[in-house]
This record gives sequence, structure tokens and C-alpha cells, in this order.
Amino acid sequence: MADLESDLSFQLHENLSIGRVPQWILTDPGIYELEVQRVFASNWYFLGHESEIPNPGDYVSRWYVNDPVIVSRGNDRKINAFLNSCTHRGTMLCSADFGNKANFICPYHGWTYSLEGKLNGIIAGDKIYGTEMDRSEWKLRKLPRLETYHGLIFASLNENVVPLDEYLGNLKWYFDILLGRSDKKMQVKGVPFRWVVEANWKIGSDNFGGDAYHTAMTHRSTVELGIAPKDPMFASYGHQVVLDNGHGLNVITPSPVAPKVPPFQGLPEVMWPMFERNLTEGQLEVFRNTAVIDGTCFPNLSFLSPMHGTGGHAHLTNFLTLRQWRPLGPGKMEIWSWFLADVEAPEEFVQESYKRYVNTFGPSGVLEQDDAEIWSRITSASKGLMARDKTLSYNNVMNYVMGLDSVEPDPNWPGPGIAYPTCYLEAVQRAFYEKWHECIAKD
Amino acid sequence: MTITDSGRIQIETYLEICQFLYFEAELLDDRRFEEWLGLLTEDVQYRMPVRVTKEKADGSDIEEPSSYFEDNLVTLTSRVARLGTKSAWADDPPSRTRHFVSNILVQPGADSSEYLVTSALNFVRNRGSICVSDQLTGKRKDILRRVQGDLKIASRDVYLDQVVLGTPNLITLF
Repeated sequence: MADLESDLSFQLHENLSIGRVPQWILTDPGIYELEVQRVFASNWYFLGHESEIPNPGDYVSRWYVNDPVIVSRGNDRKINAFLNSCTHRGTMLCSADFGNKANFICPYHGWTYSLEGKLNGIIAGDKIYGTEMDRSEWKLRKLPRLETYHGLIFASLNENVVPLDEYLGNLKWYFDILLGRSDKKMQVKGVPFRWVVEANWKIGSDNFGGDAYHTAMTHRSTVELGIAPKDPMFASYGHQVVLDNGHGLNVITPSPVAPKVPPFQGLPEVMWPMFERNLTEGQLEVFRNTAVIDGTCFPNLSFLSPMHGTGGHAHLTNFLTLRQWRPLGPGKMEIWSWFLADVEAPEEFVQESYKRYVNTFGPSGVLEQDDAEIWSRITSASKGLMARDKTLSYNNVMNYVMGLDSVEPDPNWPGPGIAYPTCYLEAVQRAFYEKWHECIAKD
Repeated sequence: MTITDSGRIQIETYLEICQFLYFEAELLDDRRFEEWLGLLTEDVQYRMPVRVTKEKADGSDIEEPSSYFEDNLVTLTSRVARLGTKSAWADDPPSRTRHFVSNILVQPGADSSEYLVTSALNFVRNRGSICVSDQLTGKRKDILRRVQGDLKIASRDVYLDQVVLGTPNLITLF
């Protein structure tokens, strides 16, 4: 892993600060190596949701970029994250996506670990190893840090990473709206969708984080069909909010010329008293008037809470999806998509919500299909010598200047962060890439 | 199912059903999507439950409640209409697709107008100038119903073999 040369790092910083993002950061193998260490291993990384492993012994198999991880619930109900690899010879212990186990048994020589990772069984152990080998030295390898927020499970390979609370920072205020509004919080329904797209992971984070501007063109087919409004400014209303540590989001309100949307994104009225109990006045004010919330938790966890109908403005129904853009190299990612619903939401609503989710997002979603297409076109066009020229002599920078130094923050915004009174802005993306640069530039 | 069960199906019916499924595949591959809609009943249910990797002892590796499609005639019509717009970028330029359908087994359905039909699907998709094609394989379970003499699809469940889909989007029908 070679460090960025200081000239290059400086020049990168200069460009990012004026909304110019060099195209080569999408496809350069050296940059990718730096990202694996300094963006992903050094920060918090999303692994799943607590509701996926409700009972002791439940586990899911996940990937921390390229590290296979078992996320499991112990008999003490605590959540653990272990490297999915036997300490004897390194065999992967769990090769299923999920399940429930009393212990983890290696199929190679039979080394057996408790749910808490303790090595408590070796076939003919005493006869072979005697008492000389200290078994406590050979327990499953825990990921150095694991913390949760409203059920989201994050881990970090960096022992010294700041506490998750501090890392999420003012994003928590918005996560409270999306994940903490109900008494019993949210639960994942079903299993995540997973699919592979030939695109750089940052494009997903960038798009979900702040790119409201793409909706009118990328998703124009839905405008043609009358599913999305004709007004090209329709996704611009509301606020784009720049948050701590490279996080950011759009809080989109309905177009003033479109029909009004119901409060709380049309969630069933029986749930409203719960929201009023669990949220502050400011959070309620934001949530009550919102049509769409989309954003990114740096580096590669995105979230989307839109409203979609079956056509026109009929039956607008909300859903919440979480996205992970798991990198598989500079030009490839595996997308993971989870669907969540409030534990207390009426079952009929949850079913309708799931249908709207599947119909619009995920691999068959009529909106998301086109995202994947465009993102792979960006990546394909960024692999050659002109795009990857680090001296930028071909002006090979992408344009992120929208609203730079010309849009002032809204002082009346009730939430934290720097809130600009439009979503057609690239402040969130500029902050994302600046944070990204800060990560890869440090020693 | 036993061979005797399938033996209750007349050979003419079996051939008719095979011909129907091949014709359907041809409509999809020739991008005659609106004609394809004509093969569906009004109350059609169209799903694609998610496959997962599970240990053998944990039973079926199909996660029925999770599905890539939760469609009916309204949403399928809307998908087809989308493919007919000028801005369905994921399919413009269009993919070259081939639906290979085989292993067709036919059983009698709930009443004399219905047949339970299972088939194997090998779906191949090629795009642009990439010489390697995306491939999805799976099993389909259909209920075909005779409506005023014509066979129609009343229900389809597609069970893909892939847990992680190796194609950027499920742009067509399966």
C-alpha cells in the first residue's frame, strides 16, 4: 500500500475544496488499497441489524469488505462479531448466510467454540495437546470494536476508533426519526437482497447521500409514466444537510405544486402518538412535513425512506431501506439491501410497504434498475489513461460545484448540521469526498 | 408427484403447454412485452422468492416471504410500459436475452381448467460489447389456466439458484 504522494494529496485536497473530484479516484487500484485500510478498516463499518439475530445462538454471516464475519448473539444475549475463521487452521466456520447454533464447530479438525467465542472443545484435546496449550489464547478472534445504535450493528477493525456515538454525531438526530420513532424500534423483514454491479462503491454513497438532482433524468421513465412528477425541480424542495464525519442527507418536502402528502410519510395514524412520545418537537416538525429522506452514513451505509405509489399519487406508501455498498475492488461492488418496518406497524401496512419497496428499489425496482446502469457507465468510462491521469492534464475531474459558495444555510432549520434550503446541491457530496480524502491522506 | 400423476395429462395437452412456454420465451426475447401481458390472467400473481445459503439441517433454502418481485397485472403492466418509454436506461440500448426453458413437467391443477407446470429456466443476458453474458438459472412453478380456450399464466413463482445476483438489474421478466 503506497501512500499518496504529498503533492498529489495536496492537489486532490485543493480540487475537492472547489467541487472538482478527480475521476481516477473511482478506478485507481492504489487508491482502492488505501481505502480498504484507511476508510473501511479505520472507521465504523455496518454489519447488520439486531433484529436479524433475535435469539441466543442466532447468527448471520457478513463481510467487512473482504473479512468474513460471524455476527452472533450469545447466551448472555450480547452481540459478538468474530472473524469467521478457525484459530487452528483458518477454516471458515459458518458458510451459510444465517442460522442458529449452540456452538461453532470447525469441520476440519473439530475445534469447537462457544457462542461467546471460547475454545471449549478439541477432539482428543487433552491427549494431544496436554495441558501445555492455553486454550484461552486460541479463542475466536473478535473484531476489535462493536457497538450498536437503534439496532444498527457496527464494528471496527480499529481498536482506537472514536465511540460509535461520537462517530455518528449529529446523524443520530436523523437516525432517531428513521429508526427510533417507535417504542419497539424497527425490525428487518426478510433477508437482504444482494447483487453485484460493476461500479465503484463511492458512487452509491454519493448518490444516496446527496444526489437529488439525478432523479429527474435518471428516473425519467417514471416521469414519463406519471409515477413521478413532471416538475424538473420536484426533488429539490426541502433541505440538504451536511453532517459530522462525512455523513449527510436530503430531507425532501413535497413540491409546492404537487398534491399534499399525508403527515409522517403516510405512516398509519395509529402510530402517530408513538412518534410524538419518542421524538422531540424539532424532529416531529421535520418528520411531519417530509416526503423523502435519503442519506449516507460515511463511508458506505446508505438509507432511503421515500413514498411510492402504484401510479400517480395513488396509494403513496412509505418504506425504509438500508443499503450497503460493499466494495469488491475499485470497479465492482456487492449491493446489500435491507427492508425495515416499525415493529408496531400494522401487518397490512407492512405488506403494502414491502410491495412498494420491491417495485421501486432492489434489483427489480423500476427506479433502482437505472441507477445501477448509470453507475456502471461512470465506472466504465473512468478506467482509461485519460480518466486516470493524476496530473489532471485532461481536465479529468467530475463536476461537484452545484451551489458552491452561492447557497447560504437556513438558520431556521430545527435540526443539527448545516442545512441548506434546497436539495439540488452538492454540499453533502463535497463533504463526503473531503472526509474521504482526510481518511486516505493520513499516515 | 409420480410419473402416474403426469400420466393423467394428455400428450396433446403436454405439447400445447410446452409450445405455450416456448412461445412465451420467444415473446420476451423478441421484446414483444405487450403481447406477453396478453398471456396473463387478470388475477395473475408473479413472484421471485429469494434464495439463501442455509445448512442442510435448517431446511428449505428458499425464503418465501422475501421476493424480488411482488407483482400483479397492474404492476407488470407498469413495468412493461416503462420498457416502452424513451428513458429506461437500464435497457437502452437493449440487452440481448435468451430464456431457455426445459424440464417441463405438467400436473393437473386445482380444477380441470388449471395445470401445475414446473420448468427449468436458463436465462442469459448479453449487453453492449461485453463478451461474457450474465446468467441466471432457476426453477419456475406456474399455474396455467385455460381461459376461453386459451392457456394463460395465473401464477408464477421463479426460484433463482443464485443468492447473489450476477446481473445489475432484473430488467426483463422471467
